[in-house]
Amino acid sequence: MRFVLFAALAAPLLAQDPVLKAMKDEMERSKSLRLPNTPAPYYIEYGLDDVDTFNVSATLGALIGSGDSKIRAPRLAVRVGEPRFDNTNYMFSDFFGRGGGSRMPHEDDYDVIRHYFWLSTDRVFKGSIQSLSRKISAIRNITQTEKLEDFSKAEPVKLDLGKSKPVFHRDEWTAMVKRLSAVFNDYPRLTNSVVEFDSGYGTSYFVNSEGSEVKFPDDLFSVRVRASAQAPDGMLLHDGISFHARALDQFPSEAAIKTAIENFAKTLTSLLDAPMAEDYSGPVLLEGTASPQLFAQIIGMNLGLTRKPVTEPGRNFPIPVSELEGRMGSRILPEWMDVVDDPLKESHEGRQLLGTYAVDMEGVKPVPVTVMEAGKVKNFLLTRQPVRGYSASNGHARLPGAFGAKMALFSNLFVNAKETSPDAELKKKLIELAVQRGKSYAMIIRRLDFPTTGTSEELQRLSVATTQRGGGKVVSSPVLAYRVYPDGREELVRGLRFRSVNVRTFRDIIAASDKPRQFDYVGNGVPLPGLGAGGYVAGHSVIAPSVLFEDLELDHREEDNPNLPIVPSPIVRSSR
Amino acid sequence: MRIPLFLLAFAPFLLAQQPKLLDIMAEELNRNFDILKAKADPKPYYIAYSVVEQETESVSATFGTVTSKGYRRKGRSLDVTVRVGDRKLDNYHTISGQFAQFTAGIPIPIEDSPAAIKLRLWQETDRCYRLAAQRLINIKTNKEVKVADKEASDDFSTEEPAVLSQVPPLFPFDGEEWTKRVRKLSLVFGKYPRIHSSGVTVSFNHEAKYFVNTEGARIAHGRPFSRVSVSAAGKARDGMDLSTFDSFTSADPRRLPKDGDIRKSVQRAADDLIGLLDAPVVESFVGPAILSGRAAGVFFHEIFGHRVEGHRLKDESDGQTFAKSVGQPVLPDFLSVTFDPTLQRLRDEDLNGWFTFDDEGVRGRKVKVVDNGILKTFLMSRTPIPGNPASNGHGRREAGAEVVARQSNLLVEATRTVSEKKLKELLVEEVKRQNKPYGFYFQEITGGFTNTSRRGIQAFKVIPLVVYRVYPDGKEELVRGADIVGTPLASFAKIIAAADKLDVFNGYCGAESGSVPVSAVAPAILVREIEIQKKESSRDLPPLLSPPMTPQSGGGL
Repeated sequence: MRFVLFAALAAPLLAQDPVLKAMKDEMERSKSLRLPNTPAPYYIEYGLDDVDTFNVSATLGALIGSGDSKIRAPRLAVRVGEPRFDNTNYMFSDFFGRGGGSRMPHEDDYDVIRHYFWLSTDRVFKGSIQSLSRKISAIRNITQTEKLEDFSKAEPVKLDLGKSKPVFHRDEWTAMVKRLSAVFNDYPRLTNSVVEFDSGYGTSYFVNSEGSEVKFPDDLFSVRVRASAQAPDGMLLHDGISFHARALDQFPSEAAIKTAIENFAKTLTSLLDAPMAEDYSGPVLLEGTASPQLFAQIIGMNLGLTRKPVTEPGRNFPIPVSELEGRMGSRILPEWMDVVDDPLKESHEGRQLLGTYAVDMEGVKPVPVTVMEAGKVKNFLLTRQPVRGYSASNGHARLPGAFGAKMALFSNLFVNAKETSPDAELKKKLIELAVQRGKSYAMIIRRLDFPTTGTSEELQRLSVATTQRGGGKVVSSPVLAYRVYPDGREELVRGLRFRSVNVRTFRDIIAASDKPRQFDYVGNGVPLPGLGAGGYVAGHSVIAPSVLFEDLELDHREEDNPNLPIVPSPIVRSSR
Repeated sequence: MRIPLFLLAFAPFLLAQQPKLLDIMAEELNRNFDILKAKADPKPYYIAYSVVEQETESVSATFGTVTSKGYRRKGRSLDVTVRVGDRKLDNYHTISGQFAQFTAGIPIPIEDSPAAIKLRLWQETDRCYRLAAQRLINIKTNKEVKVADKEASDDFSTEEPAVLSQVPPLFPFDGEEWTKRVRKLSLVFGKYPRIHSSGVTVSFNHEAKYFVNTEGARIAHGRPFSRVSVSAAGKARDGMDLSTFDSFTSADPRRLPKDGDIRKSVQRAADDLIGLLDAPVVESFVGPAILSGRAAGVFFHEIFGHRVEGHRLKDESDGQTFAKSVGQPVLPDFLSVTFDPTLQRLRDEDLNGWFTFDDEGVRGRKVKVVDNGILKTFLMSRTPIPGNPASNGHGRREAGAEVVARQSNLLVEATRTVSEKKLKELLVEEVKRQNKPYGFYFQEITGGFTNTSRRGIQAFKVIPLVVYRVYPDGKEELVRGADIVGTPLASFAKIIAAADKLDVFNGYCGAESGSVPVSAVAPAILVREIEIQKKESSRDLPPLLSPPMTPQSGGGL
């Protein structure tokens, strides 16, 4: 009887889906959750990410492993109190009452899904009550410098784009990965190489107590390639490339991937014999994927504003703050540059964009946001968590966040330049600048190690080196860096790192190319994600032109290198 | 008829030809060893490669619906051992409680491609050699400044290398059929709204191990393994979380129990849990108790087994409970304890702690550790201890960990036994004699843990699931919240009688070298005095709303 009533309120198509119906029915029932003398839930949301994957990996033409897996990851939020002041934005908001208590079925079983949400909601609700009461007592002992509301209003969304329709070509994909990995047989000096393919067919479900009901397919296909080797002087070199698409028919052809892997293997091999770089300070041209890779880290990852949670007295702890925080209206880029984040755009010049989505993790429809206009900070990417100066979401909640909130992340970031020059022109300008400055060469960087293939020890060293050398952000290091001599000749060098790069660095851009380059990657919300990082992930595309920096500092790596192996490689027969 | 058939099916194939993988491994092993011996300083004196190949599949269901599906997957993991120095002192030498870790258990191709596999072998050898050389230098520096170690045993034993290729057959496992079965079986729990979480899981595992070392060992062996497990959990009205569990194991999935038998187990798990939810909570208690055969097996595994793992006697930070006890009584004189990895099954139950070779390529041997109460020896890997210079085939690990001495099939045997009925009578007598209001009967136990370190308290804890209070008039009452606690040596002396029937507990044991399959076989035992404490429990109350499911629904709209 009760179920019938709620079903009647829902849009007919959506209500037919047993998963969504189970979520909606149990959420409606959970509104009646009460504990004596405590506030009732004022907001409940359930999300469910359902993914069927097939993964295969190979090295040198030999299969390492393959297999299917299924993930169904539920997310719950129960807010108690009122939007002005609730259980979130408190240092222990995520600490109490996690979901769970029973098993989430892998099948669309109405009863058992409800059963799961019933037990989970109970736990999360009790945890929210506990957080709220602790937050109330914490706040009695401190004077807040700034009072912000805890949750903003948003329009309910009803959207049914259907479910993902998995089609697995397991044998075909396995054969393809084996063939692609066999490319490295021709590059025996690359002692470690792996090619992986992931097909992820996902369906995302969302309901909330404000009436939102959302279902959409969320597929992701990836090929990841990584290789490493040791240079004759002992330096360990590694690099990776990846290919992604949200639809199988948009995936690059095997021939295109193969060519890219051949180039990748060739350049990494030539890097082994490249001379060590020296410290450099002067004009630098970022070409190829290096430009979008740097924009992603320095501009893209700073577009969300973090909010400091209510803390216990005397337990202040540092929260990483966006470099753009408080820089509203400040000039970051040259006046002839704009930056727009557009989650709605499907493709760019015929190529699919990876960051596109219809509804965000809070059930909010995203809107394109001009984040920089005429080089100045104009806007930020927002979720339903109010931050200083902003009280409404623009639909950018893309990953789970901290303290009961979601994380704001960019989607498809377009760096648009109004004044442009052809690439050849930029290189000419670069050389001119170097000559003017009395330098014997200039630098071109064509690829960064981003997402990184570095080991954790190496990232540690990078972080230490960044702090020691004038601070700035920890930025992924250049992999392909070239000295450019006045006669235009290029020479590949190795062992470079950026020195003190931050948002201010971008004001020194003096020219941009007329051919923007698209770079797609999958991140997990951290500034420097690893290639193939797991957990909750979000796709990103950055479209940026090559850019010429008037002045950029690069350091060479100074760490000691491990000795070469005593035993030569089993597959390199000739001596070096 | 059934046994010979089974033996035929289970007898590992003796391969006429050495598997290609062994050849690839041996070639690369020799190449690395020869060059390192000629050029490296310090030189290796021993290298071993171990590859574990696993093929797995599983499916779980709850209330008639599938909750997880472990699709068929095959993988290979490589462990490399490089020993530098010499047998007397090498890079594995124990320094004050530090455990050496060199291997990483990296994935290698599942196809026998010589180039791809050799590349991985070479890289891992290089990585492990560097770490080994570095650690040996550290040890030598450490040794010079420290007073000579009290113990003077070597770091590595001398063993005969074995050459044998026998890989068990890959038994057929019908995933589709099992999906239907566990789905149906798990429906039983749907009748009980107070059972919050429940499941029936079947898992299939086929394991082949490939081992080569520089002493000439060339071994391919392995074991198939399948398991059905049943679990249920709920919350008592005071918030205490309770659960019940049962499992069946078999080498061949076709020999797992029929649905009727599994359904009985599901029903029992449900009935026990429902009973437990409303059962009275125990009070702290010291007095007599019976441990069922399975419970006694776990009890022995925890409080005794872990303390006869040989390598612990090399580690100064370990409590070394039995260091000076060889030749001394450690158990009542009617009890003997044997570890027997060669025993594949007992009656109609396959034993989980069975293996032909351990993870150092040494043939698993039957070891009588306690003979009529007297401690005879220890479980040995190739790490010698004073008085035990050789391995007895108990060096074990999970892929990715370093080998230590671990248990296999533990068998507790009693020379003086009584029937289980008589054992209960003896319990009642003991209750009366001690003037206690009641005694305890521990029927099901889910495993436990023990601390053998010198730093912590030398104690153990086992986690009982189904426990009864037994009153002087013989009446039994299901109770909840009982934990057995105590110190090991004290507990052994108090065993006063054993039953004449052996029960099997198959499980997994986790320790320094990872999770390894083991079993414990024991008769029910009567203990004069056992200490019970009320278990710590959750203060979260049961759910505020009633279950959304109508009873007996479960499965589909």
